[in-house]
Amino acid sequence: MPSVIIEKDRCKGCELCINACPEHVLAMSEEINAKGYFFPMAAHPENCTGCRYCLLVCPDVAIQVENKGKVTKRPDALTEKGFSYCPGCTHGVIHRLVAEVLDELGVRERTVGIAPVGCSVLAYEFFACDMQEASHGRAMAVATGIKRGRPDLVVFTYQGDGDLASIGMAETIHSANRGEKITVIFVNNAIYGMTGGQMAPTTLPGQVASTCPTGRDVNLAGYPIRVVELLKELKTPAYLARVTVDDPKHVLAAKKAIRQAFKYQLEGTCFSLIEVLSTCPIGWGMQPHEACGWLEENMVPYYPLGEVKVPEPAVVKAGS
Amino acid sequence: MAKKLMKGCEAIGEAAIHAGCRLFFGYPITPQNEIPEYMSARLPQVGGVFVQAESEVAASNMLYGASGAGCRVFTSSSSPGISLMMEGVSYMAGAELPVVIVNIMRGGPGLGGILPSQSDYFQATKGGGHGDYRLLVLAPSTVQEAADLVIDAFDLADTYRNPVMILGDGLIGQIMEPVEFKKEIKPEDLPEKPWATTGCAGRARNIINSLYLDPEELEAHNWAIYAKYQEMAKEVRHEAFNTEGGCDVLIVAYGTVARITKTAIEMAREKGLKIGLFRPITLYPYPTEALVKAAEGAKAVLVSELSTGQMVEDVRAAIAGRKEVAFHGRVGGMVMGPDDLVEQAEKLVAVPA
Ligand SMILES: Cc1ncc(C[n+]2csc(CCOP(=O)(O)OP(=O)(O)O)c2C)c(N)n1
Repeated sequence: MPSVIIEKDRCKGCELCINACPEHVLAMSEEINAKGYFFPMAAHPENCTGCRYCLLVCPDVAIQVENKGKVTKRPDALTEKGFSYCPGCTHGVIHRLVAEVLDELGVRERTVGIAPVGCSVLAYEFFACDMQEASHGRAMAVATGIKRGRPDLVVFTYQGDGDLASIGMAETIHSANRGEKITVIFVNNAIYGMTGGQMAPTTLPGQVASTCPTGRDVNLAGYPIRVVELLKELKTPAYLARVTVDDPKHVLAAKKAIRQAFKYQLEGTCFSLIEVLSTCPIGWGMQPHEACGWLEENMVPYYPLGEVKVPEPAVVKAGS
Repeated sequence: MAKKLMKGCEAIGEAAIHAGCRLFFGYPITPQNEIPEYMSARLPQVGGVFVQAESEVAASNMLYGASGAGCRVFTSSSSPGISLMMEGVSYMAGAELPVVIVNIMRGGPGLGGILPSQSDYFQATKGGGHGDYRLLVLAPSTVQEAADLVIDAFDLADTYRNPVMILGDGLIGQIMEPVEFKKEIKPEDLPEKPWATTGCAGRARNIINSLYLDPEELEAHNWAIYAKYQEMAKEVRHEAFNTEGGCDVLIVAYGTVARITKTAIEMAREKGLKIGLFRPITLYPYPTEALVKAAEGAKAVLVSELSTGQMVEDVRAAIAGRKEVAFHGRVGGMVMGPDDLVEQAEKLVAVPA
């Protein structure tokens, strides 16, 4: 019988797993864990089908699933350190996906990741590969330096929307346009999380942020930037896609795109960027599951999901 | 190796290649465009990579990445571009990354002009960007010396894991002189950098970082890099010219002004006035002890710069009131003639009527 294994002291009590479980296996505990959070327990273990939805949405890699004698495990490309993100923030889900892809492609030991300035500034503590910490917005310039100097390395950046689409926009456009052979993980949470919820270049029209207290006024701040569509206009970049991680199916699709982006890099295909719509429950002032709903209702219509640009098929040589 | 007639900028580029550097990231700006142009042609011939960055901000962060990955890497720019690079420079000082940065100074502030200047002395020697750090700063006064110092700069940067700046001016960059390269280092012969991010196979992972959220750790880090700067003191270099047996006026000057001073020394000799030259080659660390010694035998000390007075502050700090330190500067791309220096020197030793 499949079962859910909960590493309770990693849990921050966001309840996303409880919402995701289609069989109502999970319920919150009445005791608290070492961090002071209530955590989920298998209240109806007999209902578990081993679907892994709980694992897929858990932002703290606190859940593993046993099914048919096989137990899922924490990716090798993650360190043991617990994430520093707020409860329910989906940065953690995206970290896990990137780490799983590094493991599956077997490239962790020749990968260099670049952490940005933003909530994921400490990403260098979480990815179990060589890491560089860049200044605000310059992750792709740093990646350019690494990849041009050491083309044998697998290089990825992990950046927020303020980092990538505001202060680092010049680096973004030009790294994409030069066709740097790097993979960019772009986390769009429509806000500046780290500095306390200010307006981002991706904040939606009317969305309240601490520097647009009455909502983003497009007459003053313009419309939010759709990064992948903007980059699509360039001829060079190879692979541009937008995904999200607000529910289990989207998480699976996100992983597929991230995996594809790294595979392109391994094949020597140029620049790939995966935009991941992500939640910021604290910055948005919502419960984690409400934030997922808000993302689905408000962000997805403005930021449509899907592949926006794929590499042109290799020309097949006559006679080959 | 036979001597070759080369422009300063080109000799600087070729010297970097002789130092085993195969990477250049930069952005065009007068009066140093010959460096990126030279590198864009030369690097591909030796299996290297030239990238024209979108800005100096980006270029400095490309240096950060490449140096962090263990590569010898360099860039060049001129004053306004160097200001933009200060972001990367501060982060590289913080993350202890070896790089070589050439500043062919032009007049400022702001867009200023394109003619020679020495007005970035403060920026170069006092850190330049934010935070408590120093660069090792080398100031050539001939094309040959520029080539030699560039090669040394790469070794010094690696030794101290710190950015090294070559501080020149438009004249050094544009002048043509015979030059030979004292050594040729193959990139594959360079020692491994065990701290670099080259993939963590078979070892604990490496992290290149300047963030220390714990104030105690950040303080310890600041004192640790400070200790490196103290250690660098042994790298001081200078030239003392015509100072044996004392002199009437000791002129303290670097780079182009030191060249002009040498002509002034000849002109003054005919008038029976003995001018000596003290030329710091390292501007940071500053050759304070040697300067004090040279100044002991001088009746007067005159600092001359292409600025309104920057290095003069370090000279006055070194002399510490033991002697009057006079100053003569030209700015904005204007350059003093040797006759100006002789006149200034004469004034200092004139017996009041
Ligand atoms: C040069 C510079 N300017 C400003 C900051 C302050 N700062 C830190 S994080 C941040 C915003 C990051 O927002 P985003 O990239 O959207 O990432 P998030 O925190 O939402 O994940 C800012 C403005 C900084 N560290 N450096």
